[in-house]
Amino acid sequence: MWKMRHFSHWFLLLCILTFINNTQAQSHVGKYDWLLPDYAKLQYAGGIGFMSAGVGYTFVHQRIDATFFYGYVPKGIAIDDLSSVSLQFTAKLIRIRISENYQLLPLNFGWFIHHTFGSEYWINLPSHYPPEYYWWSPGRNAGIFIGGELKTKWLARKTPASGIAIYARIGTRGLYLASKVGNSSIPITDIIELGFGIALYR
Amino acid sequence: MGTTFKIILLLSTMFLISCEGLFDYSPYQIDFEGENKGVNATNLDRLLKTNQSDTITIAFTGDTHNYFDELAYFVDKVNTLPNIDFVIHVGDIADFGLPKQYLWGNSYLLNLQVPYLVLIGNHDLVGNGLEAYKEMFGDFDFSFVYQDIKFVFLNTNSLEFGYNGNVPNLDWLSQQLFPSDDFSKAVVVFHMPPGIGFDPELELGFYQSLSAHNNVIMSVHGHQHHHEVYYPTADSIPFVNVYGVEHRMMTLVKIYQDKIYVENEAF
Repeated sequence: MWKMRHFSHWFLLLCILTFINNTQAQSHVGKYDWLLPDYAKLQYAGGIGFMSAGVGYTFVHQRIDATFFYGYVPKGIAIDDLSSVSLQFTAKLIRIRISENYQLLPLNFGWFIHHTFGSEYWINLPSHYPPEYYWWSPGRNAGIFIGGELKTKWLARKTPASGIAIYARIGTRGLYLASKVGNSSIPITDIIELGFGIALYR
Repeated sequence: MGTTFKIILLLSTMFLISCEGLFDYSPYQIDFEGENKGVNATNLDRLLKTNQSDTITIAFTGDTHNYFDELAYFVDKVNTLPNIDFVIHVGDIADFGLPKQYLWGNSYLLNLQVPYLVLIGNHDLVGNGLEAYKEMFGDFDFSFVYQDIKFVFLNTNSLEFGYNGNVPNLDWLSQQLFPSDDFSKAVVVFHMPPGIGFDPELELGFYQSLSAHNNVIMSVHGHQHHHEVYYPTADSIPFVNVYGVEHRMMTLVKIYQDKIYVENEAF
C-alpha cells in the first residue's frame, strides 16, 4: 500500500515539474509541446482530497476538459491520511465574455471517477469472496457535479501563463446517491461534495 | 483589477462561510467527534447504572443497509414501548462501510431513550469500515454482565478477515463462557451465523464453545434479514434470527428466570 502512495507523490511531483517546465518553455516551440498540459489546477475539497493538484487538457475549443487529479487528506483531518487519484471530465456549456480580461463560465457539467489508494479500497472483489458478494467497489467511485468558473487574465502579462481562473463545483457520488434514494430523512446537504479551486492556463 | 479582486474576495469569503459543512474531502474520511465516538462504552455505562428488575427486555434490530428511514421508525416505536432495558443492533449499520453511513446510522439510534449497543457486521467492514467501527463503537468482541446474565458480543465476520482462523475468536468466546461467580447464564450475540461468510473450519468449534458449559440460554444473530427461532446445537440452544429493519418488524426478547420469551413487534 505505501508503495502506491509513494508512487502518487512522485506522480504529483512529475505533474508540477511538467507544468513549471511547460510555463517556462513558452517562448520555444518544441516538438513535444502538444504533450504539455493546457492547465494546472489546485482544488480544495470536492470529495477528491483535502487538497488536490491536477493537470489536464482542453478539447473542442475549450469546451471539454479532462483533468487528472492527485488528492491528499492529511492525518489530523481524518484519523488516517488518504491518497487518491481522480479523472474528471467537464463540459463547459456557456461562456460569457464580461470584458477583455474576464470570462464567466456559469454552467459546467462534470463527471468524475475516483480511486483511493490502499488494499482495503479494492476495485475488483478480492479472490476470497464468492462471486458478486458485494456489488460495488470501495476503491472506485464515480460521481457528478455542476460548477462555474471565472477566467481572468491576471498574471498574463507578468508570467508565461495566459490566465488564471477560480472555480467552484458542487456534486455527489454514486454511493451517496444510492444511500439517499428511499431515505427522505437523510438531509440532501449530507450527500453534497462542495469544492473550489484555482486553475492556471498555459 | 483592484475593485474586481476585492469583490471576488468578498463573495468567495461569504460563500465559504455559508457553505461550511458541505466541503467533503473523501468518502473515507473518519473524523468522528463527541456522541459519535466510543458509543458502546457510553451506552454500557448508562445501562449498568439503570435500576434493574427481574425481567430483562431487549429490542433487536439490524441489517440497516440502505433502510435509514425504517431505522428512524424503529427508534420511534421503541421509544413508545414500556420496559425496554436496551436495544441491540445486530450489525450492517453501514451498507458500504462508509464513515458517512456510520454517522447516519448512529444519528437515528442517538434518539433512543434507552441504551443501545451495535455489533459489527460484514458490510460495516468494507473499505475502512474496520477503523470507522472501532472509532465509533469500540471493540469487535466485548461482553458485560447485566442482572446475572453475561452478554457476549462476538465478531463472526470471518470472510472479511480472509478466513484467517481468528475470526470468530473462539479462545476468547470460551473464556467468556467459562463459569464464574459474576454470572449464571449467558447470551451470545453475533452478526453472521455459520454458513457462507463464516469460517467453515471454526464452525464445529463454535457450536462446541457455545455448548461447553451448558450456560448459554440464547444466541442471537442477523445477516439473513428474516426471523426464525431454530436449534442447531446438540443441546438445543435457541438461535434467534433477527428481522432486517426493512421488514418494519422488530424482535423483542424477554428474559425471566433464565428463560427466554420471543415476540415480534411491527413498527
